[in-house]
Amino acid sequence: MKPFDYLVADDFDAAVAEYGEGQATLKAGGIDLLDLMKERITTPQTVLSIDRLQALRYIQEKQDGIHIGCLTTLADLGRSKLLAAKYTVLHNAAVHAATPQIRERASVGGNLCQRPRCWFFRNRELHCLKKRGPTCYAAEGENRYHAIFGGGPCHIVHPSNIAPAIVALDGSITIHSSQGEEQRIKAADFFVLPEASLHSENVLQPGQIVTKIVLPMAPSESATIELREKQSSDWPLVTASVARLQGSWRVCLGAVAPIPWPSQPAMEVLGNQELTPELAAKAGEAAAQDAVPLEENEYKVQLVKVAVKRALLSAAGMEVPTWD
Amino acid sequence: MSYRKDNRVALENDAVRLDIVEKVTGAARFTTDYYLPNMLWAAYIRSDYGDSRLRGSNVNAARAVKGVLEVDLNKKSGRYHGDRLGHICAESRQALEKAIVALNLKFAASWPRTRLEAERTPLNELTPAENDAEAQKVLDESDVVVEAEFQTQVQTHCCLEPHGCVVHFRGDSAVGYGSTQSNIGFRNDLARELGLRPDQVEFHCEYVGGGFGSKFGCDNEGILAARLSKKYGRPCRVICNRKEEQLDTGNRPGSIQHMKIGVSHDGKIHGGKIATWGSVGPDGGGGGVRNPSRYNFGTIAKVRENVNLDGGYPRAMRAPGHPQAMFAVEMMMDHIAAQIDMDPLEFRLLNETSDVRREMLKVGAEHIGWSQRQLNNTSPGPIKRGFGIGVGDWGNRGGRATIGVNVYRNGTIEILSGAQDVGTGYRTMIGDVVRTHLGLPRELLVVKVGRGDLPPGPASGGSVTSRFTAPKAFVAAEMARNGVFKLVAEQWGLENTLDLKLENGVIRGDGQSIEWRKACQLMSDDHLSFLTDEDGDFWKKPTGSEAVQFAEVGVDVETGVIRVKRFVALQNVGLPVNRHTIENQICGAVIQGLSFCLLENRILNNQTGTMVNANMDMYKIAGPLDVPEIVPIIWQEDRDVGVNSLGEPPVVPVAGAIATAVANAIGVQVRSMPLTPDKVLAAIAKKEVNL
Repeated sequence: MKPFDYLVADDFDAAVAEYGEGQATLKAGGIDLLDLMKERITTPQTVLSIDRLQALRYIQEKQDGIHIGCLTTLADLGRSKLLAAKYTVLHNAAVHAATPQIRERASVGGNLCQRPRCWFFRNRELHCLKKRGPTCYAAEGENRYHAIFGGGPCHIVHPSNIAPAIVALDGSITIHSSQGEEQRIKAADFFVLPEASLHSENVLQPGQIVTKIVLPMAPSESATIELREKQSSDWPLVTASVARLQGSWRVCLGAVAPIPWPSQPAMEVLGNQELTPELAAKAGEAAAQDAVPLEENEYKVQLVKVAVKRALLSAAGMEVPTWD
Repeated sequence: MSYRKDNRVALENDAVRLDIVEKVTGAARFTTDYYLPNMLWAAYIRSDYGDSRLRGSNVNAARAVKGVLEVDLNKKSGRYHGDRLGHICAESRQALEKAIVALNLKFAASWPRTRLEAERTPLNELTPAENDAEAQKVLDESDVVVEAEFQTQVQTHCCLEPHGCVVHFRGDSAVGYGSTQSNIGFRNDLARELGLRPDQVEFHCEYVGGGFGSKFGCDNEGILAARLSKKYGRPCRVICNRKEEQLDTGNRPGSIQHMKIGVSHDGKIHGGKIATWGSVGPDGGGGGVRNPSRYNFGTIAKVRENVNLDGGYPRAMRAPGHPQAMFAVEMMMDHIAAQIDMDPLEFRLLNETSDVRREMLKVGAEHIGWSQRQLNNTSPGPIKRGFGIGVGDWGNRGGRATIGVNVYRNGTIEILSGAQDVGTGYRTMIGDVVRTHLGLPRELLVVKVGRGDLPPGPASGGSVTSRFTAPKAFVAAEMARNGVFKLVAEQWGLENTLDLKLENGVIRGDGQSIEWRKACQLMSDDHLSFLTDEDGDFWKKPTGSEAVQFAEVGVDVETGVIRVKRFVALQNVGLPVNRHTIENQICGAVIQGLSFCLLENRILNNQTGTMVNANMDMYKIAGPLDVPEIVPIIWQEDRDVGVNSLGEPPVVPVAGAIATAVANAIGVQVRSMPLTPDKVLAAIAKKEVNL
């Protein structure tokens, strides 16, 4: 790790102003940043820690929905009775992420803004497209964990566990700029594909930070299913987050595309119908229909079908296979 | 046949580890915990790619970093990712890190050799074995000939405590701290590098965070630390970071094993041909696979090839060559059994070479519920249950070791051994041998291990430590007891000590009694001291450290995800000493074997040879939620045996047991490890096409 200066913020406005100067890199829980720094993918001169700004750590029920502060941890989400009762899709996603230790540190804002976990991007030795190098090694290399939707020219998958759930809930993300401006955008519009922005994964501009997410309404039914090859401390191979808002089903996939991937075909199949096992299976098939797998990740197409089907069954309170 | 379901050991010893408080509180000091005053920091300069050529560097910029003492870049090409090209030495960690960045190495790669299957010589081009014609005749005369090919991946060493060394050269003496499975070997290597005699080097290795075969001698880190400490007359620290640990500390090589076996309808194996390809480093060998073994395979013509890849080198890893062999062997056993329509357990019982394992197979089958195994899994729902079997064993020759015992006037017994506790509980084992043999409480016990100045012990490799040292510890315990008996006999005016007995901390005889502690106060010296390298009557008939394991798995046939549900591990350990450490070893082996079978895999990029998952994030190792219910069963055929090997044998059968269970669950074998969802789904799809 390259040596750096370490600043600890105790005031939000001052922190935003400091960040706006453009010299510092923000650290919340530090889960993502430390890995990047140890591998020298990121070599900041100054690290500005905001994790003591406890005012940004909250889950509040307001008139326009649930507000969740950016420094709320994944463990906080997991402990929330409100989310467990009414926002199962997000609760499911948070409680299974990584490990208990990581969930206690990892923040909502950091989880949404973390850089990809692509093993070519994460190795300093490989000068891939995302690091302004000449090639995406995944295109013809070891791509078993890479994208089957929306890939090219870079084939990362977005690593956020909770983003698909927030998109499925039609949530929004509030962005604060160093000029004090605040804007709220749909979560689905926050993330960008490599073809639009190769070197970043979201719309944040220098000096901007995510301050909160807002979930406008509680779904009548919802669930997240993650399929993993390893049950402890790992990223899912495929995630399916589903939520029914005002009668209509929303479906968003994770770990299959460079962004949380709203599945229009699945949503078209589902519409606002009452769920049946047959409809769930049909939606799963539809969710996978436009996949473009790479050489080593065709298996993900099957996993998408199953994850969507099971997430829908789970949301509707129907029987889902269990390991017991 | 007796076995004890409740796992009570022969010595009825359920005591926790002697060093549990030190380990849990962090008081135990590992090599990485030593930060000496005025210490230098050094690290190797490493290649980014396999088969790479250095095309740019900025040595002057690195040297110009404040606090950098030297930058030595002495190679222009790297054989594998992580290959050592030189080193940097600096006053501080910060300076070292800055210099590594400033060096700004640029490499050119040239499509290195990264895949065993692509680089091997085709089967029909291998030079046949000398007995090929004989094996062919066996195949020609067999009722049924079964052929299959199996593949195992590279498993990298990944010790929780990385390889490393801290050395302080002081002119005519030195102090070293190293993480090693052979502290005497490490000390001697340091002495050689420093130009000192072994007695001039004080060496410490009291605690080790795992070695698994990768930590003998002072290694590259010790050599560099020693040279720099001697050059600058200051302490020097060289410790691998996580990435270096996985790139350059060795691995269990990958393999492809092609088997063609002849068998008769009655289930007897007659022989056949086996070809094995082992993936090794850019040059040299080390890719051997210990197949066939454990079952009677008759006449086998075996050929093998080391296949050079531009990745890190193989190194001994817990039962080298065995787990990968038994994966293929157990899969082949199941495959043959299916071809002749025989139950796999029955087929194994017919061809098993060990009477002990044959009994263990019967008992283990009861424990796992083998009778519930279905040939064609027709259970409803996508999660299918399967059962599988694996077997193993280990040799138990005797060997040299010396144990020292001091008895102090306050009754304390100090046990001294130069062998090291590599995390397996040697400290506990050796202490409990003495304590239980004398019948004294643990608070009277002090065990000192892992220092070069202690009585010589073996290197902890080949699962020898307990079996070499335990008999000497029994003898040393008797010497200590007899020394105190002598004092008591003199006090009581007895002619000899023959009638004295030590029970529950009290010495009795001649109608009198005295507590151990009080008896020890009879000594006029500070302490009594004994040293022995004798086995006495305590070298007992060795067992084969037989291991038999049964796995129950669940496989989600819609997703290919495997979960091991239950694992029964029967293990012959000879005379069991401490139940906790034995069960820890068995459970640890099962977890490591599971991780090997289902998850771990070195991935080299095909364009550069870079290992893309050289960290504990992307190199997948089983975590708590991946661990099944493990039922360790300590096999006790009889008590008249010695303390035998335990480190390696329980890891041998695991992959075979899990892989055969998966095949039973889904009705088709997945013949390539690790058994990941993509391979499971592909195997199921292929089966459905063939149907």
